[in-house]
Amino acid sequence: MAQTPSSQPEKPLDLLRVAEEVKSAALGYGADVVGIARAEAWEKYVPEGYRPYDLLPEARSVVVVGARGPTAGAWRSPNPRVMEVVGLDFANDRAIAALAGFIEREYRHYAIQAPGLSVAGHQPPFSYMLAAVLAGLGTRSFAANIVLNPRYGLLYYSACITTLDLPGDPQLEQDVCPHPMCVQTYKHLGRTPCIAACPADEGGCLDGTIDGNGRIDSVYYDRERCTSRAMNFGPVAFQKVLADLVSEEDPTARESKLHSDFSARAISGVSFYKESVAQCFECMRVCPIGRQERKLK
Amino acid sequence: MNPAKRSLDAAAWKDKLKTTAIGGGALVFGVADADSFEAAPEGYRPKEILPSARSVVVIGGAKPRAGDWRSPNYQHMELSSTNDRMTALCMRLAHTIEREAGYYAVVVPPGVDEGQRPFLSLSLAAELAGCGSASLAGPVLHPEHGFMYFAALVTTLPLSPDQPLTDPACPAPECIAMYEEQGRTPCIAVCPIGDGGCLGGSIEDGRWTGRQYDRGRCMARVYNYWGPAFQKVMAEVLQEPDKERRRMMIHSSLFTRTLWSMTYANISQGQCFECIRVCPVDEKTRHLKQEPEP
Repeated sequence: MAQTPSSQPEKPLDLLRVAEEVKSAALGYGADVVGIARAEAWEKYVPEGYRPYDLLPEARSVVVVGARGPTAGAWRSPNPRVMEVVGLDFANDRAIAALAGFIEREYRHYAIQAPGLSVAGHQPPFSYMLAAVLAGLGTRSFAANIVLNPRYGLLYYSACITTLDLPGDPQLEQDVCPHPMCVQTYKHLGRTPCIAACPADEGGCLDGTIDGNGRIDSVYYDRERCTSRAMNFGPVAFQKVLADLVSEEDPTARESKLHSDFSARAISGVSFYKESVAQCFECMRVCPIGRQERKLK
Repeated sequence: MNPAKRSLDAAAWKDKLKTTAIGGGALVFGVADADSFEAAPEGYRPKEILPSARSVVVIGGAKPRAGDWRSPNYQHMELSSTNDRMTALCMRLAHTIEREAGYYAVVVPPGVDEGQRPFLSLSLAAELAGCGSASLAGPVLHPEHGFMYFAALVTTLPLSPDQPLTDPACPAPECIAMYEEQGRTPCIAVCPIGDGGCLGGSIEDGRWTGRQYDRGRCMARVYNYWGPAFQKVMAEVLQEPDKERRRMMIHSSLFTRTLWSMTYANISQGQCFECIRVCPVDEKTRHLKQEPEP
């Protein structure tokens, strides 16, 4: 009745070949990109408690996948609310869940889906962004520190921590951001397209400078301002609605707020529809990286 | 031609559904006779979900992986283990039955009906379909895979039913030996009802009997970031006289995690796995390699 796992391999694994098989499996499970980082690479960047082997003893490597969120068609929709409800379909999470099972089943090594959600405040036990950088999938950008992939630009990442001793991929040598076009824009206007779309000194969230070599010199990101604009129909918005309701003394106003359009959208967003939790894509909309992938017939 | 008009090869259909289920990630597959649910209360039997139902197809899987059990960070288990993968796979089987075989099929809703009662007990369905047996700890355990999440569908497709297990998975031989020596099993030892825990019971002739389970206590410990936690926090918020404190409670880490858990993120809905952590039934499936290849 039950499926029997693959028999334990008798001879030592060819880890280069295994790495290719793992990557191929990840792409087959729906990832758009996949990379591998060595577990010890975290030593340099994060404190104790947040490294791969703090989550899985004897962890040797971390497989990271990225998947596109909005479709090319969604980027073209003239109705911005379309992007608000179709931004993410969890393809990265599905791929990494399947991949963790694949590694345990096929290679008999431990594998876990790295926990990337916050458990207190805004602190996740494991940073997918750092994992993506260390696995050579992208580099941080001016746009809210989002890790941009050279081919696709914005991606959603997930990671699998494993005791499988896979060889790591090199980190990208070339920064993805700023794009050469953005360097030129900066030279002429003093701003990149993303900063121009959301300038911190004019009520926006972004600022930064580019050095003489065309690389990021400094970055400013107003996270609180961005969150209050980017997360308006997910759990965060639902909390706003509730906080407003429970502090409203006037029963008529309370009932009115409960039945408001915003409240109804917040409730539908967090319940059945699992709508996107990020509603402001404006810094990404003007980003030239990955734009080629959004051009279809 | 309506596919239902063709002659039905029930054995081939059972094989096809099983192959699809296993290929889709299920660890176990079984079929129960729709008329065999006498133990279920009236109103909660297969034919009360789907008139003329003949079979109940049960699948199980999506259990914590070997690696999950090894993580020293307990919050990892709170963020990773989910049952919705089995429900989605079950929906795929239901579509296959309707579209290709031409028979009705309804996925048993994974949630609960009035009074916290399931529409159809997945535990009972799993037992009747031979996918496992009831345990002292509570969950239905499969002899090889132990604890897992189940999903089921009710269909008018007549499939040959499997039989309940003749040898229950619980108590395992190790537990019988421990009980004979210490008077308790591993799960009872880790959560004894007489010492602030949830479980009790005894073993006679190699079978457990007189099971005690404090459901209220267990629920209060297991469901801390899901629907019940939402109710807890809201009840407290509505009792709080100070307006600013009410707002703070809504924005607390506990409530934030609760919202992510019950809504968008599909994160775990059960946070205490301790009785299953010490269960030896699928112990052998939790041991994999951790050393580099020689």
